[in-house]
Amino acid sequence: MNNNSNKMFFLFILFFSTLISISSNSWFGCWIGLEINLLSFIPLISNSKNLLSVETSLKYFLTQSLASINFLFMILIKFSLLKNFDMNNIISIMMNSSLLMKMGSAPFHFWFPNIVEGLSWMNNFMLMTWQKISPMILLSYYFNKNFLIFMIIMNLIIGSLGGLNQTSLRKLLAFSSINNLGWMIFSIMISENLWLFYFLIYSMMIFMMISLFFLMNMYFMNQLFINNMNFFIKLNLLINFLSLGGLPPFMGFMPKWIIINFLLINKFYFLTFIFMMTSLIIIYYYIRIIYSSFMFNYFKMKWMNLLMKNNMSLINLSSFISISSMILSTFIFM
Amino acid sequence: MMKFLFMMIFMIPLCFMKNMFWLVQMMLFFMMFLFMNLNLNIMCFFNMSYMSYCDIISFGLILLSIWICSLMIMASESLFKLNFYFNFFLFNVIFLLIMLYLTFSVLNLLLFYFFFEASLIPTLLLIIGWGYQPERIQAGMYLLFYTLFGSLPLLMGIIYIFNDLNTMTIYFLKFFNMNMYLLYISMIFAFLVKMPMYFVHLWLPKAHVEAPVSGSMILAGIMLKLGGYGLLRVMIFLQEVNLKLNYIWIIISLVGGLFISMKCFCQVDMKSLIAYSSVAHMSMVIGGIMVMNYWGFIGSYILMISHGLCSSGMFCLANINYERLHSRSLYINSGMMNFMPSMSLWWFLLLSSNMAAPPSLNLLGEISLINSLVSWSNISMILLMMISFFSAGYSLYLYSYIQHGKYFQGLYSFYVWFISWVFIIIFALISFKYDNFKGWFYFYLILNKK
Repeated sequence: MNNNSNKMFFLFILFFSTLISISSNSWFGCWIGLEINLLSFIPLISNSKNLLSVETSLKYFLTQSLASINFLFMILIKFSLLKNFDMNNIISIMMNSSLLMKMGSAPFHFWFPNIVEGLSWMNNFMLMTWQKISPMILLSYYFNKNFLIFMIIMNLIIGSLGGLNQTSLRKLLAFSSINNLGWMIFSIMISENLWLFYFLIYSMMIFMMISLFFLMNMYFMNQLFINNMNFFIKLNLLINFLSLGGLPPFMGFMPKWIIINFLLINKFYFLTFIFMMTSLIIIYYYIRIIYSSFMFNYFKMKWMNLLMKNNMSLINLSSFISISSMILSTFIFM
Repeated sequence: MMKFLFMMIFMIPLCFMKNMFWLVQMMLFFMMFLFMNLNLNIMCFFNMSYMSYCDIISFGLILLSIWICSLMIMASESLFKLNFYFNFFLFNVIFLLIMLYLTFSVLNLLLFYFFFEASLIPTLLLIIGWGYQPERIQAGMYLLFYTLFGSLPLLMGIIYIFNDLNTMTIYFLKFFNMNMYLLYISMIFAFLVKMPMYFVHLWLPKAHVEAPVSGSMILAGIMLKLGGYGLLRVMIFLQEVNLKLNYIWIIISLVGGLFISMKCFCQVDMKSLIAYSSVAHMSMVIGGIMVMNYWGFIGSYILMISHGLCSSGMFCLANINYERLHSRSLYINSGMMNFMPSMSLWWFLLLSSNMAAPPSLNLLGEISLINSLVSWSNISMILLMMISFFSAGYSLYLYSYIQHGKYFQGLYSFYVWFISWVFIIIFALISFKYDNFKGWFYFYLILNKK
């Protein structure tokens, strides 16, 4: 059962495992961190009273342990057979593949929307943000540039086109997460600071949206217009989604702008074009969500107030941040 | 320049206070008169500061945008009377004005792009939030996606320029030559979509028709001119490619203008007719900019300003009819002279300006454009003749259909006159007179330059 002290314990080990993984001196330590990460995340998501939750945690365990085993094997091969530091070989491709599978990046992404569908919003937040840190940083230590560029293109295309037919909000955010992984993998290839910048802004935007959906208890698109949201929540939703899509003048434009800058410095012209056009498709399905919440008639129940929650301050805070991020993002330019 | 920005920013809290609707509108008028009195120097940039500047094009367009925003609020009086989220509407208008003001006045090309894109968001909110029909969903999508599809390559082009030249100051761009075909396409395409040029014009009839009166006024008045302004700024450093490739855009826009003018005769919706006439006028503007002579430059600028005033006035009038008869269809809006004879004066003045009859400013613009396009090639005489003829044709068609004849027998009752419209009309008249004077000043300017 999942009471707070259990969660605290496993959460602590989760955070610690990522720190082990990214700060170890040898690849073996990295693998240990990844394993402990997996082991401590499973109790957080599994709830023995709920069959879907059990099935989700089993699927997560299977895929992630497969990736970890692969990673360990490739590390050992690299250590024993290859004595050079060349990054353009088959072993780097295999190591990158196993790390990409850990992250849920295309073409190893098939588990990701499935599992995201079975988790609650807060677990999703963990999965989409914290669980990506250690594979990304490990990726930055030994990556194969050509392979990763191909993976980036696949991420972008699958993330944008996969979300077109979804009605579940979790799966939509999963595909948008896959798309943003494409941006983040490219930023790893440029510099780790850039990745950190993109990742922090991305996780802040995801946090605002997921906390909004969590407080409204919304999991599907039809719940967007059944509920009685007041105006500021809808505005918050609008600003957050447009910000995630990378439209000016919101905060989400800034990391995308900087990454495009580095793309063009390194002369990746066609790749930039793919980045742009897939982000256009992503904006299309964000706008669909926004339309659903803004446009349709909603029911006003008079005998029950749906928003009597104790922690309205979180909604207010996230509204304030998302609205003021417009102004803040213009200040960064000057 | 900063003072206007601060004035607009501090009007935002004013939008949310009680009973401040007319105060905001009056303050916008006040700001317009203040702005008009800036020192105006034709041949250079003036009022330069660290990040903003003003030259003659920026000045005219900022003035036009403040003017149209204040008229927008006046035209949307029904929102205030019906208490339909007018606080947020005012915030939208002021936010849009800030974004437009910053678009026209920043020195940095990337900031220009930033505010160019940012002005789309309040327009989208205006169309979706206060539009009249369910088709506005699709209209908002078309607006957003056509414009974004064009402007994302613009972002790529701007950042490429920055990486190459290490500067983004618009003033310094004229010293460089970036003659690359791909850069040319990526920079120009965004503005051509925004203008709009013929093949990428589909968003415009939808967006104009489905927008509320304020949205239509700002779209026709200023948002199209963003494209023109961008073209005028960006073509400076692409001159050799321009000389090789501009004929494509001229031909597409002129022939397209001809087709669109003919399509105007088939329209049933008043606003749709005015929207298509906007495309036809803008096609001439694109032609004028693309020929790259001085008459074309000035002519397109004058036509942009005059078309902004004229088109938004016509949308306002169309809304006056719509508010009374609840229909925009030409079949129902006929014989209006029987009920509102004074309104027929305004229809006539604005439609005669639309067809570029003397003494309107549109005439000056069209004469300059005809001059520049014919000097580029004699064959364009045919196209220009037909575009001008058809624009006279559909303007007269619209006027005669709405005003003359017997009124629609199915009408029951409606208001005839509101007092506040008097103010719109008086101010519109002042603007025509003022711009007539400015117009003759430009004419003198052109003669001197020649």
